[in-house]
Order: sequence, then structure tokens, then C-alpha cells
Amino acid sequence: MKAFEYYAPAALEEAFDLLDRFEAEGKLLNGGTDVVIQLREKLIAPKAVIDIKRIPGLRGIAYDPEHGLTIGACVTMNELGNEALVCTHYPTLAKAALSVGSKQVRNRATCAGNLINASPLADTATPLLAYGASVVAVSREGEREIPLDEFFVFVRKTSLRPGEIVTAVRVPAIPGANGVFTKISRRREVDLSTLCATVLKTGEGWRVAYGSVAPTPIRLRQTEALLDAQPLTEERITRAVELARSEISPISDVRASQEYRLEVAGVVLERSLRALM
Amino acid sequence: MKYRVNFFVNEEPVELYVEANKTLLRVLREELALTGTKEGCGAGECGACTVIVDGKPVNACLVLAPELDGMHITTIEGLAKDGELTPIQQSFVDLAALQCGFCTPGFVMSATALLEETPHPTREEIIDAISGNLCRCTGYARIVEAIERAANGGGDPA
Repeated sequence: MKAFEYYAPAALEEAFDLLDRFEAEGKLLNGGTDVVIQLREKLIAPKAVIDIKRIPGLRGIAYDPEHGLTIGACVTMNELGNEALVCTHYPTLAKAALSVGSKQVRNRATCAGNLINASPLADTATPLLAYGASVVAVSREGEREIPLDEFFVFVRKTSLRPGEIVTAVRVPAIPGANGVFTKISRRREVDLSTLCATVLKTGEGWRVAYGSVAPTPIRLRQTEALLDAQPLTEERITRAVELARSEISPISDVRASQEYRLEVAGVVLERSLRALM
Repeated sequence: MKYRVNFFVNEEPVELYVEANKTLLRVLREELALTGTKEGCGAGECGACTVIVDGKPVNACLVLAPELDGMHITTIEGLAKDGELTPIQQSFVDLAALQCGFCTPGFVMSATALLEETPHPTREEIIDAISGNLCRCTGYARIVEAIERAANGGGDPA
């Protein structure tokens, strides 16, 4: 790890000052499970690391049936996945959060960090995309909510602007929604997703989100439209599986081949639909 | 530049001046000579460096030294009191739940954190709690048995 300066601002205002001062050479630190590895591997060499964990107000989880769920930026994966309100109202999100890394990693890793890291296979991204979640970004200019499907831009690229700090993730309430989260990985624990997906049945229709099949986690809008159009017959399931496979663009990498991902993506959709029918 | 941190290790207050690019793991091993905590992968995959931070198991390789201010840390050295092993440690010895021993402190810390939270875990809860710890010599059967026996007050689970 190269040398850097460390700051732990006690207020957002102080953090904005530091971001102004260091600009692109300032790196925000949250749980550190990605950032510390990037520092160690010298993938990044910031002049300053700005730790947001001592800023008050970023640790809470709040839920109400009207506005849904608000997850503070510093809420850890274990806090999120074990929170009763999340298990009750967003079970796919709870399951996704608890599928990340190990218990040790989940005691540090955060949901906000998982999104900002913008890995194509971010585990909490697919339930959040399916629920239509957004990221709350705050800067000196004020606050804006970025819908998650506009937040991910490319592999490890988000639409966050310089000077913005993510303070929370907001997840709308969808009463009666029922979903399935699937993680395909080589081992059951402490592994990255070979493919992950959330299929959500809402009062109005279907939401289908996949990870590790494109440069960013994505919604399969055409597949959703097909599923929404008419009742779920056998023929429609077959067509949806075919359409889903045409809507994704997986690559081959160390975890799996493109062919495997294309095959499994269809199987996961079919199984999820059958479980929710 | 060095940063002053005040924290607790095994209930003893510690004041140190640390470099920002050191990890908790290096502080324990190099500054405090607590070499029971091991570096395996250094990337949060293997669990050899597991310590308990504010009651929760954490990979010491993923915590930066200046983050330590105000934290309460328990390492493997903090478990035995007056030469008497904790039930988990004794159980690992009794059941020979180790071979080379490199991963053992991490397993013992994960198990200790588990039993503090869940004194009588199921086998599944035990397996879940140690799934972030890798052992390359023993297989996991003895380790799971050792934790089960410790949780059951030292009685033979068989």
C-alpha cells in the first residue's frame, strides 16, 4: 500500500471540504472491503482517504409502508440482512445482502459501497433494481436521487459527480411483492456471483434483474414486457426464457464461460417464475 | 504522517501513532507483537486474521490502522485467562481440531464470536459462522465438532 493521508470527517460539510481540496485524488472509504483491497493491489493510489464512517446519520435503517425503506450508507450487509423489517418486506434484499462474502466481510461491507463499487455482479444490485431503488447523493449543491438503473454506467463506473457523497439507498414499498433471489457461485459462501438474479412479482407485473450478464447489473425490460402482457402459460415461459437469453450479453471469465451464463440465465428465470406462479 | 489512535486490545488501553497505510493486522503483529493473528490471503478471503472488533468478527487485514480509534479489539491472545484456556480453545486441543495450526486462531475467534452471540448454535449455524475461515489441512469435521462440544459445555456430542 502506498502512503496516503487519512481523514475521518465528523460532518458531511467537512467531507465536502476534503473532496474539494483533493478532488480526484481523494478516495472515499466506507466499509473498506473493496477499497482496502484496491489500495493493497495498488489499483488506486489516492493522496487522501476520506473515511465517512464517523459522519453521524449514516447508520440507520428506516421503514414505513408509504415511503419504503431507507438504508443509511454505513449500514453493513449483516445489519441489513438480519434486520427484521428487511427480512419481512424485502426478503430478496436480505438474502442478497447475506450472500456477500463471509460473516467477517459482511460486518464491514455496506450496501451503499456494494452499489458504488459498481461491479457487474454486485449482489445487492439485482433486488434493488427490481424494487426500483435509488441512491441518495448529496453535495454542496444539494441532494438528488439517482434511480439505480441510471446509477450504473459501465463496469465500475457510476453517474456520481465529483463532490457527491452517497448518504443512503432508498427502496420503494411494493405491497404484496413476492420475489426470488438466486446466486449461482462455485462455492456456497465467500464467493463472487457467477450469475445473480432477482425475479419479482408485483401487483402490476414482473420485474427481472440480472447481475454478471452485462457491463452493469441490468433490468431485462423486454422480458418483463413479455411476462406482463398475458397470463403465464407454458409457452410464455419458454418464450421468456429465450428472450431473456437474447437480452443479455455475458462474457467468459475465470468463473464461467459465456455459454454457461447464457444457459443458466434461462434456467434461473424459469425456476424463479415457477416458484412465483 | 502518523495518526494518533486510542483503542483497546484485549481490554488493555493502547495509544499508538500509526501510518495510514498499515492495516489492523500489521499493527497487531508488528507494533504490538501479537503474532497469534495470522496473515493468510490479506484480502478478506481466508479468515486467518479474524479478530473480534466491538463484538463482531472482522478480517484484520481489511481495517486501516487510523480507523482503530475508539475500537475494542479481542485477539486470540486475549482469550485464555491466567493460563486457563477458554472452552473453545480446550475443545480444539481435546479433539485435535487442527494440524499445522495456522488457521486456528481465526477459527477460534470466529467460534468465540458465534458463542457470544448464540451460546447454543445448531450445526448449521456453526458451519455458517466459520464459512469465512479456510483450513487446508484438517477438513472441517473436527473443527465443527470442537465448537459443538464447547457449546454443549464440554460434554461429548457423540
